[in-house]
Amino acid sequence: MNVSGPSRSGVGDGRGDVIVETRNLSKTYRDFWGRRKKVALKPLDLEIRRGEIFGLLGPNGSGKTTTLKLLLGLIFPTSGEALVFGSEATDVRKNERIGYLPEESYLYKFLDAEETLDFYGRLFDMPPDERRRRALMLIEMVGLARDRKRQLREYSKGMTRRIGVAQALINDPELVMLDEPTSGLDPIGTREMKDLIVDLKARGKTVIMCSHLLADVEDVCDRIAVLHQGELKELGRVEDLLRVGDVTQIRARGLPPAAEAEIREVLARHGGTGVEIGNPKTTLEDLFLEVVRDAEARPGRRAAASLRGGDDHSTRAG
Amino acid sequence: MVLEEEIPRFAAWIGPALVRYLFAGGLAAVCAAGAAWLTQAIAHGPLAAGDRVYRGILAGLADLAGTSPRRVWALARLAVQESLRRNVLVVLGVFGLILLFAGWFLDPASVDPGKLYIGFILAATNFLVCAVVLLLSVFSLPADIKSRTIQTVTTKPVRTGEIVLGRILGFALVGTVLLAIMGAAGWAFVVRSVSHTHGVAPEDLLDTTDESGATVGATGRTSLDRGHRHRVVIGPDGTGVAETAQGHRHRVRRVEGGYEIGAAEGLLEARRPLRGTLRFLDRDGRPSAKGISVGSEWAYRQYIEGGTPAAAIWTFSGLSERAFPDGLPLEMIVRVFRTHKGRIEDGIHGTVQLRNPDSGQRSEAFPIVAREFSIDELFIPRRVGTMLADGGTREVDLYEELVADGRLEVWLQCLEPGQYYGVAQADFFMRTGNGSFVVNYAKGCLGIWFAMLIVTALGVMFSTFLAGPVAMLATLAVILVGQFRGFIARLFESQVTGDFSIVPGGGPIESLVRIATQESITVDWDPTPAAQVIKAADTVLLAPMRLAASIFPSLSELGTGDFVTAGFAIPGDLLAAHAAETLGFVVAFALAGAFCLKAREIAS
Ligand SMILES: Nc1ncnc2c1ncn2[C@@H]1O[C@H](COP(=O)(O)OP(=O)(O)OP(=O)(O)O)[C@@H](O)[C@H]1O
Ligand SMILES: [Mg+2]
Repeated sequence: MNVSGPSRSGVGDGRGDVIVETRNLSKTYRDFWGRRKKVALKPLDLEIRRGEIFGLLGPNGSGKTTTLKLLLGLIFPTSGEALVFGSEATDVRKNERIGYLPEESYLYKFLDAEETLDFYGRLFDMPPDERRRRALMLIEMVGLARDRKRQLREYSKGMTRRIGVAQALINDPELVMLDEPTSGLDPIGTREMKDLIVDLKARGKTVIMCSHLLADVEDVCDRIAVLHQGELKELGRVEDLLRVGDVTQIRARGLPPAAEAEIREVLARHGGTGVEIGNPKTTLEDLFLEVVRDAEARPGRRAAASLRGGDDHSTRAG
Repeated sequence: MVLEEEIPRFAAWIGPALVRYLFAGGLAAVCAAGAAWLTQAIAHGPLAAGDRVYRGILAGLADLAGTSPRRVWALARLAVQESLRRNVLVVLGVFGLILLFAGWFLDPASVDPGKLYIGFILAATNFLVCAVVLLLSVFSLPADIKSRTIQTVTTKPVRTGEIVLGRILGFALVGTVLLAIMGAAGWAFVVRSVSHTHGVAPEDLLDTTDESGATVGATGRTSLDRGHRHRVVIGPDGTGVAETAQGHRHRVRRVEGGYEIGAAEGLLEARRPLRGTLRFLDRDGRPSAKGISVGSEWAYRQYIEGGTPAAAIWTFSGLSERAFPDGLPLEMIVRVFRTHKGRIEDGIHGTVQLRNPDSGQRSEAFPIVAREFSIDELFIPRRVGTMLADGGTREVDLYEELVADGRLEVWLQCLEPGQYYGVAQADFFMRTGNGSFVVNYAKGCLGIWFAMLIVTALGVMFSTFLAGPVAMLATLAVILVGQFRGFIARLFESQVTGDFSIVPGGGPIESLVRIATQESITVDWDPTPAAQVIKAADTVLLAPMRLAASIFPSLSELGTGDFVTAGFAIPGDLLAAHAAETLGFVVAFALAGAFCLKAREIAS
């Protein structure tokens, strides 16, 4: 990948229309008597734009799924609001344009793959021909063509995941929310899933995904948010976040080793041709561990700028 | 047959019923909105709560407008598939077993086997169908929520109303199929079980002769089958009847070498009655609003004393020569209350008399014998004798002298001193015709269908906000309160008015005290302070039950099985009213369910 290339996404940088917006969105789970059980999400402000691939990261129980559920209207905010396509998240009409892959594929086990897709297609009020066409296409796409007549109860975890993805795309959604899309998939499946996500983006769709597989996130996401115990710790463009600001890396091709000292000198005065200069990247894994460690060491604060070697502005993204 | 009230014409009934329905529905909606506001106000303050409730209602209404038949149908299909997966068809096996056992333990020699079999089959069908849909409907949605499969559904553009309606529809479909199968099997079972014939042996027949000694026919008796035999009367042309016994009769036909007895007639009937209005004369011959209540049977049936001028008088109207050209087919059920045993195997004797309501002219008295529990027929011919002032009689034409503008009075009097006749308005009627029994049976099944629909809707509604077992209890509670709604209403009236005679024994606390102290319920309490406190507490306890009783459905009132078992055609007006009532309840429950589900966090 070309690290120092221009902006990875066609949109962003404050342009493009906002698809998802949260303002002070928070969620406290309560028990039957209204006593608070768990603050799952502390006030969160997010803006996600059309055509973005947005990653939600965080340790287990940090509120990623909770955030998605709030955006889908499956649970109601304790305070603040979540807007999707400009209307409230509890408005069902927005679901016409959304695809959702839950954490585990919650599907009816007594249906087979075709029946499953047909059923969800009906829920989108799709006419029969279109349902059949989309179902066949998606079953083919997720590689279940041979198993399409088998009941889901017989499916393996990865197969269930695949039909779950197909189900999420039945309506050709504009906004796709994927809760750990690669969990349970084999390496080929994971690769295909990543290709699929990038392909969705290429077709102008917006993707929000949660994942623990940081390499996957690093590969596909334009922007990420890191949650820790319900609190936003980090938010920004992946490339900005991963750039090590206080280090300069120089790469060149076709130079004899003896010329190194000379080049340094030359570089000091004027730039040479074919010379690449930039900040090296850390891996997302390193960043993630640092953010979490920092959050644990100093609770209640956004990740320190020093962590990423300056360049603080990029975290105030959006 | 129990008929508490006259059946109003549907066209006259529906208007006021609709107004009451809308009023009750509106009231319930306002109460629900108020409750929602209260709970929200605790968490968010009064203003924000008002805003939330308002927006919730708007969103709910917008959802209703967006309801799509295709989605509802998809969810209904899913519910059917789920039911099949839960092996509901097993219930058909259970029903088969019940039929098998019924074949053994129901006695075909009983007084009225038709009644027994139909009543049993309808009750069994009703119970099984309602039980199945109850179990399906209360456990389905909670299971879906627990397994979280509902999350994949609600993140599609599915309205909560569609989820509720789809489930009601799906389970109702399952119930309908079960009901159809059970109904058909039950019908076949009943028809097979009660159909029978007899033989007639030559030695059981005696020739009848006319004055000249020529043989004009025969009388005798049939063989004893299924615990009964009939008296046989054969006319000169060789045909005759095996007279009514056990609620039916047979036709008799001469065949080679003897007589053949046909199938039982009158066992499975659907009579169409023309009913009159009833008033009473007391033992001194004075008009009374009521007869004498002897405290047994149902309150609606009144008793007249034998050997006195006491009479029960029906006034029929709409009698015409066109409708009844040959005479009036009067049918009657007369109950007996004996104050002394008399000869128990004999009926109690009495008379039926006709009277012109305008001129007061009376016919001769037709003697009757009250046989309890069966419908007696008395065919009043066109030419009847009338009483003259000098004590003589004169034969007149029924329509010329006795029927006035289609109106006619029928007087019933009991002849035996110390015995009483008990009658209700519905007990005397002119049979205007016969409906088909199969159709009537199907209409009876329709009553079960209504009950099934209501149970389904109720179960699904409760399952939108309660866990399965709790939803089941709640449904049963509503059905139970609905079943006793008449009693609860009277009990409350008794509490409020202090009229002890309406329901003796008082409310729940008072009854408990009476049980503990083993006090008779017929003795009212002195108004001591303690008694008054208890009565006041009872009234407070009863108020919400009274309210509930006025809006909860009564499945037994929706049932029309009584008509079928008693052999009366179910009036179309009644069926239409029941259909409207059912629709009203289902719509109300579906709406309530939709709002409850919408207000619920489906994923928490
Ligand atoms: N229904 C619930 N009732 C109470 N607490 C809940 C509920 N659902 C989630 N929580 C709590 O909210 C917090 C956030 O949960 P959430 O499912 O959003 O985490 P997550 O980031 O998706 O974790 P994971 O990576 O394990 O999927 C957790 O502490 C969890 O225990
Ligand atoms: Mg999660």
